[in-house]
Amino acid sequence: MNARERFAATMHYQPRDRSPIMDFGFWDETLVIWQEQGYPAGSDPDSFFGMDPQWFECGGIVGLWPAFPDLVLKDQGETEVAQQSDGVIVQRGKFLGTIPRHIDHTLKDRDSWNKYFKPRLRDDDPLRFPSESAWTMLVDEWTRPTREYPLFIRAGSLYGVARNWFGLERISEVIYDDRVLFEEIVETLADVVIASLERTLAAGVRPEAASMWEDMCYNAGPLISPKLFKQVLVPHYRRITDLLCKYGVDIVFVDCDGKIDALAPLWLDAGVNTMFPIEVGTWHADPIEFRRKYGKDMRLIGGVDKHLLAGPLEGITREIERLAPLVEEGGYIPTPDHRVPPDVPLSHYIFYLNEAKRVWGRGLDNCGPTGHVDPSAVKPTTKRFSWES
Amino acid sequence: MDDLKQLFDAIVEGDHHAAKSLTEGAIVAGANPKVLLDTAMIPAMDEVGRRFEQGEYFVPELIISARAMKAGMAVIRPLLTARADKPAGRVALATVRGDLHDIGKNLVGTMLEGGGFEVVDLGVDVGPDKIVAAVKDQNVDIVALSALLTTTIAGMKLTIDKLKAEGVRDRVKVIIGGAPVTQKFANDIGADGFAETASGAVVLARSLMAGA
Repeated sequence: MNARERFAATMHYQPRDRSPIMDFGFWDETLVIWQEQGYPAGSDPDSFFGMDPQWFECGGIVGLWPAFPDLVLKDQGETEVAQQSDGVIVQRGKFLGTIPRHIDHTLKDRDSWNKYFKPRLRDDDPLRFPSESAWTMLVDEWTRPTREYPLFIRAGSLYGVARNWFGLERISEVIYDDRVLFEEIVETLADVVIASLERTLAAGVRPEAASMWEDMCYNAGPLISPKLFKQVLVPHYRRITDLLCKYGVDIVFVDCDGKIDALAPLWLDAGVNTMFPIEVGTWHADPIEFRRKYGKDMRLIGGVDKHLLAGPLEGITREIERLAPLVEEGGYIPTPDHRVPPDVPLSHYIFYLNEAKRVWGRGLDNCGPTGHVDPSAVKPTTKRFSWES
Repeated sequence: MDDLKQLFDAIVEGDHHAAKSLTEGAIVAGANPKVLLDTAMIPAMDEVGRRFEQGEYFVPELIISARAMKAGMAVIRPLLTARADKPAGRVALATVRGDLHDIGKNLVGTMLEGGGFEVVDLGVDVGPDKIVAAVKDQNVDIVALSALLTTTIAGMKLTIDKLKAEGVRDRVKVIIGGAPVTQKFANDIGADGFAETASGAVVLARSLMAGA
């Protein structure tokens, strides 16, 4: 069974040799720090740790096209002020992987929407796709019967990107000051996604899933009310998922950090049926509880508390075994609930993976071997973060 | 009384135009600005906080109500200053060193101002020295620290340690919040309180001021 077949079988509750063994990724600092603990510099993590390949994406560009130029506006030593490709002016760390701080936004109101953003969101722009010859080659690869990796089609974002373009405060005001504009933005974003999906799926591409990104929840719940979500977003999610369904794409996942409890059932009703990454957080989200509450209609990816990996090894084993029945049931792929942070020792991560392969991987040797660390290669730990100075 | 109720409603409903004009109208009619603040504006933001905690309001509603509150405050603040009316307390607010996130911090600041506190916003990526200086020089009652990252919340403990080392820990209450912060963490580092939400921070700050 290859990774593509294993993913599809898992998400459809069908027999498979074992669970996929995957991760969400790593902070940039984590891999740097792990080099001091024996991780070979320049290694590909999936290969080194012997994991199944993550999914690859297909489809056209569903964001701003052309993007804004990425410009450094001011050098501030360890940080810099820059215009990002989404038009947001940020202060960002040059060396740390922290999320940039928004300083200003190109999108402020209807005028700036019409002037700078709407022209970059034309759903009929041919440049959202590569040249015909390149497109044909891509489609050939995506439709290759012997393709071994899972393929996800880009299904965009209806709120998350707009929130980034405006900033949380301004989009919150726009929702009340100019509801028509907010609705127009959501509809425009959906139109771009649908045009991309239509062309890609009509070409015969049949991905294993569609992927959306929203990040519209925080530790206390959603950033907008479920009522507004239902009124404005759900009809457009439904347009997207209906189209996907027409082409047989029945796994649609949304990437949303934070406490998703209030939105999860609304997404499910709208045909978005896979929640990722089930961030455990201080609100103690639990994939087992989601399954108990929503049954097999809701698929899940993630749900392993990344902070647990920094703790005692017994706790890691206990959590892996606690999740094992859900993994066995299917419709769930366990991964750390976000990128692995730098306070997780490399030895703990290797222990976690070996235990995951033993329990979730049924001990089969078709998981790649977990990378070996030579203890003599481990260097003394040095300072990690500027706040320690 | 009707004017007060209308001002209260304007803030709760997030109508900043009405909040401004009603406040101006009340002042022109001879209303005491402190009475407007204490009997209409702060209670309105308390109601907003209550609705937020009950799941009736979400972040957008908090933001537009706070905008309405600010519109009214802009009218009465000069008058309050002239009368030397004291705020509910003075809070130094900061995101700790190594962390550039300010959405949560700004929401807390907005709600604290709505709750009648004076807020000294020290910004993001703020080290212990700057916070100690604020405590020494700006007569603050409360230090409120925010962090989003698990790798930066240690900056909260460093700040408390620095306040102790500089002999000013007893002068202020320290409250903390942010996605990775828990009550246990607050207890472990010796903070005086933890709030999960921006409106919870107002309740916490008031209780600490009442006990101070």
